[in-house]
Amino acid sequence: MDKTQMLVALSAGLFALGLLGVIVRRNVLVMLMCMELMLNGVNVLLVTFAQQSHSTVGAVLVFLVFVVAAAEIAIAIPIVLLLARRKRTLDIDAYVDLKG
Amino acid sequence: MDRLLTVIVLLPLAGFIINGLLGNRLGKRFVSVVGCGLPVLAFAAAIVCLLDLRTSGFAPLVETAYTWAVIGDRSFEISFYFDRLTAVMVLIVTGVGSLIHIYSIGYMKEDTSYARYFAYLNLFLFFMLLLVLGRSLLVLFVGWEGVGLASYLLIGFWFDDPDKARAGKKAFLTNRIGDAGFLLGMFVLFQALGTLEMDKINTAFTSGTPPMVSASLVGILLFIGACGKSAQIPLHVWLPDAMAGPTPVSALIHAATMVTAGVYLVARLSGIYMHAPEASAAIAAVGVMTAFFAATIALVQTDIKKVLAYSTISQLGLMFVALGVGAYGVAIFHLYTHAFFKACLFLGAGSVIHALGGEQDINKMGGLARKIPITFATFAVATAAIAGIPPLAGFFSKDEILWFAFASSFGGSTLLYVVAAGTALLTSLYMFRLLWRTFFGASRLSPEAAHHVHESPPSMTGILIVLAALSAVGGFVALPHFLEPLLPLPEVRAELVAFEAPLLYVSVALAFAGLAGAAFLYGGNAERAERLRRGFPMLHRVLTGKYFVDEAYERFFDRPLFWISERVFLQFGDRKLFDGTLHGIAGLGRRTASALARVQNGDLHLYAFLVLAGIVATLAWSWHHG
Amino acid sequence: MIETLLLWLFAGTALLAAAAMLVLRHPMRVALALVVTMLALAGVYALLGVHVIAVFQVLIYVGAVMVFMVYVIMLLDVRDRSYSGKFSRLLVPGIVGFLLLLAVLAHALWQDLPAPSGAAGETAFGVQQFSVAFLNEYWLHFELISVLLVVAVVAALAVIKVGRRDHG
Repeated sequence: MDKTQMLVALSAGLFALGLLGVIVRRNVLVMLMCMELMLNGVNVLLVTFAQQSHSTVGAVLVFLVFVVAAAEIAIAIPIVLLLARRKRTLDIDAYVDLKG
Repeated sequence: MDRLLTVIVLLPLAGFIINGLLGNRLGKRFVSVVGCGLPVLAFAAAIVCLLDLRTSGFAPLVETAYTWAVIGDRSFEISFYFDRLTAVMVLIVTGVGSLIHIYSIGYMKEDTSYARYFAYLNLFLFFMLLLVLGRSLLVLFVGWEGVGLASYLLIGFWFDDPDKARAGKKAFLTNRIGDAGFLLGMFVLFQALGTLEMDKINTAFTSGTPPMVSASLVGILLFIGACGKSAQIPLHVWLPDAMAGPTPVSALIHAATMVTAGVYLVARLSGIYMHAPEASAAIAAVGVMTAFFAATIALVQTDIKKVLAYSTISQLGLMFVALGVGAYGVAIFHLYTHAFFKACLFLGAGSVIHALGGEQDINKMGGLARKIPITFATFAVATAAIAGIPPLAGFFSKDEILWFAFASSFGGSTLLYVVAAGTALLTSLYMFRLLWRTFFGASRLSPEAAHHVHESPPSMTGILIVLAALSAVGGFVALPHFLEPLLPLPEVRAELVAFEAPLLYVSVALAFAGLAGAAFLYGGNAERAERLRRGFPMLHRVLTGKYFVDEAYERFFDRPLFWISERVFLQFGDRKLFDGTLHGIAGLGRRTASALARVQNGDLHLYAFLVLAGIVATLAWSWHHG
Repeated sequence: MIETLLLWLFAGTALLAAAAMLVLRHPMRVALALVVTMLALAGVYALLGVHVIAVFQVLIYVGAVMVFMVYVIMLLDVRDRSYSGKFSRLLVPGIVGFLLLLAVLAHALWQDLPAPSGAAGETAFGVQQFSVAFLNEYWLHFELISVLLVVAVVAALAVIKVGRRDHG
């Protein structure tokens, strides 16, 4: 397995683990962190191929992903805080008001 | 003038449209002038056409008004045909029709729906003229259906009363049953001959080579239609109920004109019937049975209009007897005299009802001869005419019918004669009974009616006088001989020629016997009639119940039909099948949706899992098929 | 030689820490595992020669995002029902799906990988090159990113104010 293949496998693995984490963990904060894991996995892939392409677009994209991730976290955490305050639990099974 | 026939037909139509649309706004006088004036004009035009006919040597006048449809190589035209028979019919329709229109001015004066009445009456005239003037069976059928419609509208004229509305419905539905037979007859004719024009049909049958269709089949099918329209057994049940309409309507439609359409149809298609002995025998049999049967019922009726209704059925039966033995001209002759005296009787009855403020039960009349003399006199003349007292009109026509029933070589028989003569005797009896109970004897009026009694206005009594005069002298017009070039009289059996004079005396004797019988039974205070009634209670009950025909129809047709409609079509077919299918489909949608909605349960884990599943599936699919 | 070994090491660490994230119970430990993953990835980026990205990974992800995360975990009471039963009811279907996903991705990736146009590690990304590209060619993206950040700030303030109005 050469380097590129290994990095692509790393990316796929990180992404799949992140998605699995969103599905199986009940704590909402842990789920958020798993989503960050997914973003990281994507980043690895981007970097791998950007680095092979001799243009800077890949790096710019990665940077944009960083910024977006930061902005997302800046909003998601307050929302989780408010939800947790209202429902008094971090268990996602309690957040079912959007049923139906 | 060139388009005169079309003008005759369109004049009453114009009256319908004008009175229908503007009548309410323009007041009763306008409605009367338009509503009566146009039929009178049509009558005048008809006389002009008759004179034209005579100058052209009685060659038929033909006018094509409009080509209705061209289908393939066949064309259907609205064309009018005027020959001797048509002349007689048109003059009766417009003449007697105009008289009744004028009578209605006085009779319907108090009614709020005055304009609607005259509009409908004109509409009826339009369709009736279409019927008699039509050259093709198609135009006749349009008129046929149209008079049925007008009859429905006029019987149920006071539609606020559900019974009256129901009577209108009954008339229309019973007619429709007859029309099924009529339509089948038309189809068979068209298929065999390729044309529906009646003069061509007649020549096809009377020419040397008969067409490839059974004349009797066509004859019977068309006669079924005639039964419906002319109230013969078994489709006679609507006519007594039709008395729910205003009395002038009963006079015009259910005595003088519409019910005679069946007789006209058979007479017009005499070419077919002359070559259809089985059909003609059936016609004669049905006619004489109806005549006798209706006469027996008329003997015990107590409503003045119902007596006249059954009398009409009975007289129509006699006309069909004449048609059945091949004496087409004689049937038309009786139609003509019947129009006069029956219209006079009905309008006279209307005058009596008007005088008594609405009373129609003869048990509550009596002693009116002095109080309403003109009505009495005209009613008496018309009664004598229908009974067959010479030299009034009814005597001539009825005697001819009885003679041909006995002696015609085309189906005449002694049995036919005996039953017909019995009917004539009963006719005289029940008509004089009516006269006695209504006008003679002690007064059995209720106090309000007695207070109210007054002679009718001149617009009504004038017409009565005209009609009574026509009933008296109308018989002297030798109509059968006028029609003979068109409708030949049948051969008389040679050995029976000697009976002609004796049978004449028998007819006279029957008429006077009826008069005497009625005077005997109903004179004074009618105690002898009462004793007779008590002597035969069962018979009286059957007759008063009209042989329970309506009840039989209700039991054997109405109830099963209702049951089928209710159980099979409504509950099963409509509710279970159609509604069930629709609700089932809707329910299916609902259940599917609610099943699918379980995906949206607010559980983020499930959503994420579904995303995963979607990604896996999409990738697998695209990479296997890509 | 050493580089390849280090690369494999860092990649392995990242994967292991990510797997550990899924099984650790306490959210704080999960956060720390994630930090390990991110640092390992930073190492990977550095080994690949994209130092800019590696630095930004540490600065932004670990330094801002994960710090914020740790603050929140410390703020909230984590010993609730999700602590005692850490797995949802979709554990087994989830694992099955995960394995399928890996299988599909593996199948695809092993066939269709493009040949590397240049060996990995050849082109290095310096800060200067990066910034010049960012502000020259991709200036629009730069501006849009700024707008996005402003929006995020406004949204965060709005969320907080909502909370405050509820209680005051």
